[in-house]
Amino acid sequence: MTLWAALAISLAAFVYSAGALYGIHRDNELIKQLTSGKDVAVNKIISGEPELRLARAFYFKQKHRYDEALSTLSLIMDKGDQKFQAKARYNLGNLYLEQAVQQVKAMNMNEALPLAGLAKQAYRQALALDSGNWDAKYNFEVAMRLLPEMDRVDMPDDEPNNQKSQLWTTVPGFPRGLP
Amino acid sequence: MRLALILVLSLLGCSGSIDEPVGATGRSPLLVKTPRPFGYVIGDEIPQRIIIETRSGISLQTGSLPAKGQISRWLNLNQVTVKQTGRRYQIDLLYQVFYAPLEVKPLTLPGFTVQLSQGEKSISQNVPAWTFTLSPLRELVVRQTEQGEYMRPDSPPSLLANTQALYGLVASLTVAALIAAYLGYLYGCFPNMLRRTLFKRALRKLAGLSKADMEQALTIVHHALNSLNGQPLFSNQLSEFYRRNPQYLQVSSQLDCFFNYSNRYFFSDGMIAVAQDLQQLRDLCEQCRKIERGSQ
Repeated sequence: MTLWAALAISLAAFVYSAGALYGIHRDNELIKQLTSGKDVAVNKIISGEPELRLARAFYFKQKHRYDEALSTLSLIMDKGDQKFQAKARYNLGNLYLEQAVQQVKAMNMNEALPLAGLAKQAYRQALALDSGNWDAKYNFEVAMRLLPEMDRVDMPDDEPNNQKSQLWTTVPGFPRGLP
Repeated sequence: MRLALILVLSLLGCSGSIDEPVGATGRSPLLVKTPRPFGYVIGDEIPQRIIIETRSGISLQTGSLPAKGQISRWLNLNQVTVKQTGRRYQIDLLYQVFYAPLEVKPLTLPGFTVQLSQGEKSISQNVPAWTFTLSPLRELVVRQTEQGEYMRPDSPPSLLANTQALYGLVASLTVAALIAAYLGYLYGCFPNMLRRTLFKRALRKLAGLSKADMEQALTIVHHALNSLNGQPLFSNQLSEFYRRNPQYLQVSSQLDCFFNYSNRYFFSDGMIAVAQDLQQLRDLCEQCRKIERGSQ
C-alpha cells in the first residue's frame, strides 16, 4: 500500500515538474520575443517571473518608450536575487542616463540634472550589489562626467588653481576637447 | 606608530597590571594589510585587514570601528567583520569607491582610532590613512555615436534556468519507474519471473473451470507444483519439497489434503466432485500465490 502511495506521489511530482518545465520554456520564449523587439500581451507576463518584466522594460527602452519602461522596472526593483537586482538597477540607470544625455543635447539643463542624479544613484546601487559589473562602472563614469559631484576630493598636492574650476563642476556636459 | 605606543605606555604607566606594550610578542601590536595601492577604477571594492595582537584581558571595543555605510560622498564601507582568535583580533573592512576621476587620481581611505579596553581603562591604537590611486575608464574627449555619448548598452534579461525543473523531472521519473518496476516484480508481471507466477497463472486458469472439470483443475495445480519443484511432485516427496521451499510449510496441511484428494479422485472409483472441493483447490492456490508473491 505504501508502495502504491509512493508511486502516486512520484508520478504527481513528475507531472508537476513537467508542468514547471513547460512553464519555463514558455516564459523563455516570451523573453526571446521581447528582446528581439516584438511586444507581448501584458496579461502573459503579469503572473510570471520578474525576468519577464525585465525583458518587457528592455523592449520598451529599445523602442524609446521611457515612461512605460520605468513603470515596468519599478515593479521588480526588490524582486529576485542579488544578481538580478543589480541588473535591474543597471538597466534603470541606463534608462535615466539615456534621457539625461538627450536632454543635455537639447540644452534642457534643468531636466538633465535630476535625471543624471537618478542615474548615478541607480548605478551606485547596482555596483554595491555587484561590484564586478564593468558596464555599470563605465556608465556610472559617463553619468559622473555628465554631472560631476559637488565636492571634489582635493588632495594636498593638487594644483591650487582647482578653486577656479570648481565653479564649473556642476554644469552638465562633456568636455569637447580644447578650443 | 612609535608615538602611539609611547602614548599607550604612558597611559598605562600608572597601572600595575598593564605595564608592557599591548603586543605580547614584542613586535608592533597593530598590522594593517592592504592590497596594491594603484589600478582601481570606479565601483571597485578595496579590502583592508587590520590585525591587532593584545595581551590577555584586553578586549576590542567594536564600537570604535568605523560604521558600515556611507563614509563620504565617494566612499562606502560595505562590510565590517571582526574575528577573534585567542588574543588576536582580525578586522576586515571592505570599502567601495564611487569616484570618477578625469586622470589617475590619488585618494585616501581615512584613518581611525581603535579603542582597546581592560576593565575600565582604555587604550587607543591609530589605524593610519591609506592612499591609493584611482584610474578613469573613459578617455577625456569621448567618442560619439549616433545617439550621442557612447555608453554601454542595456544588459539583456537572461533566460530562466530550467536545470532545477529538469532534475526534478528526471528524479521523479526515475523514482516512479523504480517503484513501478518493483511493484511489477511483486505482482509477477515479468516473463523472466515465471517461476514466481506459477500460481498466478494457475489461478487464472482455475477461474474459468466448474466442478465438472475437476480433473483438469487438479492437473493444473499438479502442474504448478511440479514446475515449482522442478520435477513431478508426489506426496512422499513432500518433506524434500519443504526442505527446499520452507515457505510452503505453512500450507502443509492443505497440501496433504490436496494430495489425498487427488489420489482418491484419480485412483478410486465413484468419486463425485462437489463445488466445495473446487473452492478448496482455489483457496490452496490463493495461499500459494500469496507465498510466491512474498506477501505472506
